Amino acid sequence: MNDPLRRTAWTILAGFLILAVATTWIQALAGPGYRDDPRNPRLVAFRVGRERGAIVSSDGVVAARSDPSPDSSQTFVRSYPGGAEYAHTVGFVSVLFGARGLERERSADLVSNRDTTISGVLNALMGGDPRPRGLRLTIDDDLQKAALTALGDNRGAVFALDPSTGAVLVAASTPGFDPNTLIGPDAQPAGQLLDDDPDQPLLDRSIAKTYPPGSTFKVITTAAALDAGIAGPSTEYPDPGALVLPGSTATISNYDGGVCIDGTTVTLEEAFVRSCNTVFARLGMEVGAERLVTTAEAFGFNSVIPYDLEILASAMPEARSFADDPPETAQNAIGQRDVRATPVQMALVAAAVANGGEIMIPYVVADVFHSDGMIESSTTPAVWRRATSPASAAVLTNMMERVVISGTGRNAAVPGVRIAGKTGTAEVTGAPPHAWFIGFGPVEAGPGEPQIALAVVVESGGSAGETATGGSVAAPIAQMIFAEFFQ
Amino acid sequence: MTRNAEAVLIVGAATLASIGVAMVQFARDSWLDADVALTFIVFAFTFGLIHLTFRAWAPNANPLILPIAAFLAAIGFIEVFRIDPNLAALQRWWLAIAGISAALLIWLLRDSGVAVLRRYRYLFLVAAVGLLLLPLLPESWPIQGAVVNGSRLWVRVTVPFADVDLSFQPGEVAKVLLTIFLASYLADRSEAMATVSRSLGPIRLPEPRHLGPVLVAAGAAFLVLMYQRDLGASLLLFALFIAMLYAATGRGIYVFSGLVAVVAAGVVAYQQFAHVRMRISAWLDPFADFTGAGYQTAQGLFAMGSGSLTGSGLGLGRPDLIPEATTDFVFAAVGEELGLAGSIAVITAYALFVTVGIGIALRCRDRFRKYLAGGLTMLVGIQAFLIIAGVVRVLPITGLTTPLMSYGGSSLLASALIIALLGRASHEERA
Repeated sequence: MNDPLRRTAWTILAGFLILAVATTWIQALAGPGYRDDPRNPRLVAFRVGRERGAIVSSDGVVAARSDPSPDSSQTFVRSYPGGAEYAHTVGFVSVLFGARGLERERSADLVSNRDTTISGVLNALMGGDPRPRGLRLTIDDDLQKAALTALGDNRGAVFALDPSTGAVLVAASTPGFDPNTLIGPDAQPAGQLLDDDPDQPLLDRSIAKTYPPGSTFKVITTAAALDAGIAGPSTEYPDPGALVLPGSTATISNYDGGVCIDGTTVTLEEAFVRSCNTVFARLGMEVGAERLVTTAEAFGFNSVIPYDLEILASAMPEARSFADDPPETAQNAIGQRDVRATPVQMALVAAAVANGGEIMIPYVVADVFHSDGMIESSTTPAVWRRATSPASAAVLTNMMERVVISGTGRNAAVPGVRIAGKTGTAEVTGAPPHAWFIGFGPVEAGPGEPQIALAVVVESGGSAGETATGGSVAAPIAQMIFAEFFQ
Repeated sequence: MTRNAEAVLIVGAATLASIGVAMVQFARDSWLDADVALTFIVFAFTFGLIHLTFRAWAPNANPLILPIAAFLAAIGFIEVFRIDPNLAALQRWWLAIAGISAALLIWLLRDSGVAVLRRYRYLFLVAAVGLLLLPLLPESWPIQGAVVNGSRLWVRVTVPFADVDLSFQPGEVAKVLLTIFLASYLADRSEAMATVSRSLGPIRLPEPRHLGPVLVAAGAAFLVLMYQRDLGASLLLFALFIAMLYAATGRGIYVFSGLVAVVAAGVVAYQQFAHVRMRISAWLDPFADFTGAGYQTAQGLFAMGSGSLTGSGLGLGRPDLIPEATTDFVFAAVGEELGLAGSIAVITAYALFVTVGIGIALRCRDRFRKYLAGGLTMLVGIQAFLIIAGVVRVLPITGLTTPLMSYGGSSLLASALIIALLGRASHEERA
């Protein structure tokens, strides 16, 4: 009488076998499909629901934080108290739009590394802290605010750093966006609006957009001439109203179409201070494509600048592409034609001059800290490359200081502080010019004295439009940042 | 000797539960607190108490059934804790209460043995039916029926002079009582029911009056389905009745007529009840109505798929995203965090439970003990099969607790009583 009972048992066991096969199918064979299904809420939950470390400015202002979700005991809500202020650098983590900025690049630090591997458990038992770590930025909150205020409604960017360390002080790009809107319930329409905006608020103009650098590039042309011994600050050049380029009928004229000083001769320094195109076009041709490109590359052109975020490489055409074309060489030498630079690149040009010719690797994350405030690791300043000789840097410093004292950059002057700079007004076909200012201060900073180097660009002249120049539009913005810094 | 092995295995299960809790807690909070120790203490108390009563009053009880139950309870508890620590705190009380209840039952049967239950079979039948009908009590009464998740399976008691509501699912205990009744009934009647007296063409039929219980079972299951909207309980009861009838009589006609009845009932239910139709369509294609009927099934599949072979690790998955993850879908939660390895371990443990339980029944010489042990084992086995089958889409979701693993006092209590009866029955055969 046991046989029916046995058969019943076998039937149930066969049922379990079917379950084992079905489970194996779901977990092993179909598993990756279910795991990666876009409807799988884990994809989102893991990204946005986990606790992430705080991101704070160098002076302790919170740029990003995680708080326990009011809806669920085990999830966290990310918020960006500064709104648009740090949006481009800090970025965001969004269900719909993924992660950007430091939230993406430093995700490994920001999310909890707690795990239940044996080493993870041992680490915790030994007193290690597996909670998510936070980032302290090098950005100064007051300075960042000043830069955004100064940029106002214009499309543009400011990038500022400490030339002696590479610590970034300002990374501003306008227009910006509020990352909180991309993680809230109305993220979809908010994101669509930003995507459709012709002003591209999501774009970080300070590191991810290039512009013709215009006359700010004359710093590099001058450095090339100084390094090669072709010219010095007192070398004299003719001062024509317009320079007829050899082998063509094209001419290069000065900004106002007139002579630089009196139409006789002008020293290189005088030409630099007044930003005379004719002199630098001639100088560029004397320096030659080869040296021009070598120097530009020494300053960082055509390289990916090492940074916490991805920087678009600035472009200097290959020497052989324009070596036999003096007009092209002349135009490249004044930062027009095919030369393109990001604001961060031009800030590094100013920083190189301020730092005796050496460029430090820019960095925006100062420390990684534990939830109890203990610092886990700090970024050590490091030299990236030598851009020009200390002697050339010293000469350039003098010339740039005179630009601010009596030249095109007077609007950047701050009383009582020695500021050096160079303006640029980059001509664009069919649109108002981009207004540039690059500079630094104080000149000849004493040991331990804080220093700042920056680049300002206002796209298409901003509200000034066709009448915009670097000196009239960008220099005043730099002035406001310098004023805040030296306050 | 075997009792010592049982003790060691129980300590192992208690350690497993507390280590699991520690890992979950560590993954979430990075520190450990009293939950770890409390879990060990409660598991050691619950299963240790049953172990000690076995030692005292059923020393020859099968030593495997209790450790297997403790293992399943431990795995389930870890996931309940992972999904909701507050529920786990309550579950610890339920575990302790279930352990005390099982110990009491073993003590009560210490002299009379399980045979005494046979005498009260009609009392159990009435009690079971009464319990099944309890959830239909009006909601204004002190003991009231309550609808949870669309099914009227619950009873809520408002404790007088204290602002406390106690809820329980009487159906869980009713299933055990019905099994005792059926085992007793079949012990008396199986000979007669197995006798084939009539032929209808090629089909040989037993006396029509012996078919009565089948029809009663089908009718009862269908009534439960209709009034309580409980697809799972009705299917479970019906399958149990048919399995026990077949095990006792060896007559395929019961299985055949049972299958016909269940298909007929299924067709009628499909036509009559929208919620049955929804379950069927969600089973055939959970992604067709992803945000509606298919949501739970789809979430279970996402969880298990994400778990893959080795799982996300305890506390590192998101089983809290699965609806009803602490009860119906606890298997999917295990699959996510412990992976295929964990799922197969759980299925294997249930298979072991069935093997050991049926082994006890096979060795029983006494008919009642045989049917009792066999029936209770089948009850656990079929219930585990039905609910896991729903999770892995072998069958539509029926809505049952996962025996021993799910959160819930009534379910744990029923499982503990089953273990006590299995232990006692196996002791009596060896003694």
